Amino acid sequence: MVKFLKLYEKIGIFIFLVAGAIFLSFASPHFLQGDTLFNVVAQGTYGAIVGFGMTLAITSGGFDLSVGAVMALTSVFLSILIPFIGIPLAILVSLIVASFVGFINGLIITKLKVNPLITTLAMMTIIRGVALIVAGGRQIVIHQKVFMELGTGKTLGIPNPIYIMVILFVIFYFILYHTPFGRHISAVGSNESAARISGLNVDLIKIAVFVLVSFTAGVAGTIRTSQTLIGIPTMAPGFVLVAITVTILGGTSLAGGRGNLWGTLFAGIFISMIYYGLNIIGVQIFYQMLSVGIVLILALFIDGIRNRYLETLKAKGLKV
Amino acid sequence: MKKKILLVVLAVLLVLPISLFAAGKEKEKEGITIGFSLWTMEYTFFQNLEAGVRGACEDFGYEYIMIDQNSDPQKMVQDINALVGQKVDGIVITPVDPGAIGPAVQNARDAGIPVTCADIGKTGPVNALLISNNYQGGQMAMEFIHEQVKDDPNNTWKVGVGRVQPQWTYARQRGEGFMDKARELGYEVASEIVVNPPSAEGGYDAMQQIMSAAPDIVGVYFASGREAVGGANAVKASGKDIIVVGYNGDPEELQAIEDGVLHATIAQQPYFIGYESVRVLKEILEEGKEYEDAEVSVVVELLTPDNYKQWAAEAEKRRGAPAY
Amino acid sequence: MKGSEKSRLIEQFASRFDSFVLPLLFIALVVVFSILSPAFRTTFNLVSTLRFTSFIAVGAIGMAFCIMNGDFDISVGSMLSLVAVIGSSMLPVIGGVPAVMFTLIFASFLGFVNGVFVTKLRIPAFITTLGMMFIFRSFAYIYTNNTPVYIQNKFWLFIGNGKVAGVPFAIILMLLCYVVAWLLLRKSPFGRYVIAVGTNRDAAVLSGINVDRTKIIVFTLVGLFIGIASVIISANLGSANPGMLGQGYEFQVITAVVLGGTVLGGGNGNLWGAFFASMVITYLKNGLGLTQVDSYWQFVAIGLVLIFAVAMSRVKFTVLGQKEV
Repeated sequence: MVKFLKLYEKIGIFIFLVAGAIFLSFASPHFLQGDTLFNVVAQGTYGAIVGFGMTLAITSGGFDLSVGAVMALTSVFLSILIPFIGIPLAILVSLIVASFVGFINGLIITKLKVNPLITTLAMMTIIRGVALIVAGGRQIVIHQKVFMELGTGKTLGIPNPIYIMVILFVIFYFILYHTPFGRHISAVGSNESAARISGLNVDLIKIAVFVLVSFTAGVAGTIRTSQTLIGIPTMAPGFVLVAITVTILGGTSLAGGRGNLWGTLFAGIFISMIYYGLNIIGVQIFYQMLSVGIVLILALFIDGIRNRYLETLKAKGLKV
Repeated sequence: MKKKILLVVLAVLLVLPISLFAAGKEKEKEGITIGFSLWTMEYTFFQNLEAGVRGACEDFGYEYIMIDQNSDPQKMVQDINALVGQKVDGIVITPVDPGAIGPAVQNARDAGIPVTCADIGKTGPVNALLISNNYQGGQMAMEFIHEQVKDDPNNTWKVGVGRVQPQWTYARQRGEGFMDKARELGYEVASEIVVNPPSAEGGYDAMQQIMSAAPDIVGVYFASGREAVGGANAVKASGKDIIVVGYNGDPEELQAIEDGVLHATIAQQPYFIGYESVRVLKEILEEGKEYEDAEVSVVVELLTPDNYKQWAAEAEKRRGAPAY
Repeated sequence: MKGSEKSRLIEQFASRFDSFVLPLLFIALVVVFSILSPAFRTTFNLVSTLRFTSFIAVGAIGMAFCIMNGDFDISVGSMLSLVAVIGSSMLPVIGGVPAVMFTLIFASFLGFVNGVFVTKLRIPAFITTLGMMFIFRSFAYIYTNNTPVYIQNKFWLFIGNGKVAGVPFAIILMLLCYVVAWLLLRKSPFGRYVIAVGTNRDAAVLSGINVDRTKIIVFTLVGLFIGIASVIISANLGSANPGMLGQGYEFQVITAVVLGGTVLGGGNGNLWGAFFASMVITYLKNGLGLTQVDSYWQFVAIGLVLIFAVAMSRVKFTVLGQKEV
C-alpha cells in the first residue's frame, strides 16, 4: 500500500489519464482511432510545453502569467521576419525575442524586487500591447507554405509537435533533476534565504528560470503560428490558465521546491483529452468547464488523503 | 544605483506614451462632436468599423472622440457615461455586452443625446441599431455548402459547426441561421463545438475535434472568420475533402480564399455599418428626422473564389485601404 | 539638534514611503490627466469614476484579508458572476431587499464552502479556488442557460446607481465597507488572528488560535464582499450576463491588494493601500481613454504604471539600507 502511495505521487495523473481514456473509448466509437489519439496528444503539447517552463518557475517559487502574451509576440515576430530572413533564422530570432521578455521579467523581479505575480501580470498587458503595436493590429498572413509542416506535418506517422514536446521534456527533465542548476532551482524555491546564505546566486537562477519559461512559450507560439500560417497578435487568450492548471494538476507544489515534470507531461495530455473527448461526444462547453474544476479538486483531494495517510503511518513510527 | 537608473528609465517609459499620444486634443465646443465607444481595437472587424465611424465624422466635419472599452463591460458603461458628461452631440456604441448598455443609454437620452448602436446588439432606448443580417448569413453559408455537394454521389448529408464563445450571445444568430437551413435542406449537424480559444489556433483545434467526432462530414461552418482559417488549415493538413466556410470577410480569410484553403466566407460590412451609424445621427441632429428603436439590417455577402477579388476592390475603394 | 530632527523626519518619511506612493501616484495621475483632458477634470467624471472604483475596491477588501491570512482566492470572478445571476433572477419572485440579502448570504456561503475545502479537506487554497473558478462559472452558465438576466428592481439598481444627498450610494457603501473592515482588522481579536495565522501558522496554533476557524471566516468574508460587489456591478450594468461578469476580475482584485502593499504569502498588510490602488487603476484607465491614447499604447501604459508603482514602494529599503551601512 505504502509503495503504491509513493508511486501515486509520481504517476497519479497517469491513472486519471488511463481511466479517462477507457471511459471515452466506450462513450465514443471515434475515440480509439489512431488519428484521434495522436490529435489528443498533439493538442496537449502546447499546455505541456509551456507547463514545463511553468513547472520550473513554480519550483523556484515564482509564477509567470505572461506566457500567453509571449506566444502572441512570438507569432507576430515570426510572421514579420519570415519573408525577410527565411524560416530557420526567423524562428531563432523570434525565440530570442521571447526569451528576452523572460529576461526582462527576471530583471524586474530580482533587481526591482517586484512581486512575480504583479510583474508578469503587468508584462502580460505590456507584451499584448507591444504585439499589437508591432503588428499594427493586423493578423499577418504568412505566405511561405513550407512553414506549415512544422506544426501540422507528421514524421513516421506521428505529428511533429509531439516530437518537439518529447525533446523539450528530455531537456527539462535533465535540467531539473540531473544538473546543479536544477538542484539550485529547487533550493531557491524551498528556502530562498537559506539558498542565498549558502552562496547561491539566487538572482541569476531566477532570471534563468524566467528566460526558460518564456522560451517554452516561444516554442508553443511557433508551433501554433505554423498551424495557422498567421501572425496573431491576440493569440492564446486565457492560455495562462491552461498552463497553470496543467502544472498544478501535474503535482508541482505551489509552495515551491518540488517540481513534477512527469506529472506536467501527463496533465497536459489529460486536460487536452477532457476537452477533446467531451467535444467528440457532444458535451456542452459548460459541462466541460465543470469537469475540469471537479477533476482539479478531486485530484488534489486524493492527494490530501494520501498525504494524511502517510503522515499517520509516520506518526506510528513506520518507515515510509 | 542600478536600481535607481532602472526606476528612472521606467518613469520615462511611463510618461512617454502618455505625453506623445495625448498632446493637443483640446476640444473646442463649436461644431458637432460624436463620441464612439468601441468594444476593442484588437480585431480587424472592429478596426474597420472604427475606420467607418471616423471616416463619416471626417466627411461630415464632425469632431470625433473614440474610447476603447478594452473588452470590459464596466468600462463600457463608464465610458458612455463619460461621453454623456462631456456633452457630446451624438453617441455611437459597439458594445462588448449589449445587455448592459440599457441604463447608460437611458442616461444619454435623458441628457438629450441620440444614440446609435453599430452592430452587436442593444438594450435600452437606442435610436437605431445597424447590424449585419447574421441569420441570413448563416443560411447563405449552408446554401453554399449544399450547392457544392448536392450532386456529389458521396454526399453524406452531414455538416459540422464551429461556434463562438458562449458569452458572445449576439453571434448566436449566425449559428441558428445555419442550422435552420441545414435542417430545411435535410442535413444533419453531426458535430457542434465551441471554438476555444476564440482565435485561429483554436479553430485548428476545433476542426481536428470535429473531424474526429464526425469523420464523414461534407462541410463545416465557422461563425467567425479567423477561426475558419485555422480550421481550413487543419482540413488541408488532414488531406480530407471538406468544404469550409467562414464569417466576417477579414483580410486573412480573403488571403485563404486566394490560396484555395478556405472555400467561402460570409463578408460583413463593418466600414459601412460604422459610417451609417454616424449618418443616422446626422439625420437626427441636422435634419430632425425621427428614429426610435429602429433596426437597420445590413446585408452580408457570400464571397467565393469567383467574386472575392471584385468585393475586395470595392471595399478598398470605400475605405481607402487594401482589403487584404 | 535641528539636524538630527530633520534626519529623523526624513527617516520616518522614508520608512513609511510605501504608504505614500499610491496616494502620491494617484494625485499625479489626476493632475496630469486634468491638464491633458478637459473631459477628465469635470466633477461629473471624477465622481462617476469614483463610483466605478467601488467595484474593484469592495472586492479587494475580502481579498486583502485572504492574502494577509496567507491564502489566495482566484475564484472570485466566477463567484461574482454566479451570485449575480442567481440573486438577480430571484428579484421578481422575492423582491428587492430579500434578494439582496439572499445574494449576500449565498455569496458568503460559497466563500464558506471554499474555506471548508481549504481547511477540512486540506486542499491548498490556490487549487481549491482554481477548481471552483471553473465550477462556479459553469454553474452560472447552466443556471441561466447562457441568457443574461435583466434587472428592473429599484432597490437593487439603487445600490449601484442611486444617490444619497447627491453622493452616489456606491461610494458611501464602499467607504462604509472599508471602515467596518478596518475596525475588524485593527480593533478586534479576529483581525489579530488573521495576521497571526498569515505570519506564522505554527506559532498561531501554539498560541491557541483556531486556525481552521479563522480561515473559514476569512473565506466567508471574501464571499460576503464579492456579494456586495456583484450587486454593485450588476446594478451598474442593469443586467447580469453569466459569461461576461467578472472576467479577469480575480486578477484586478489581487493586483489592487498587492499594489496596495500587502505581501503575497501572508502577514500584516495594508487595507487602505488596496483602496488607493483600486483608485489608481480605475482612474488610470479612465484617463487613458479620455485623453485618446492609442488603444495598444494603453496596454503598455497600464503595465508600466503597475510595475512602476510597486517598484517605487520598494525604494524605502534602499534609503534605509544606505543608512544602516
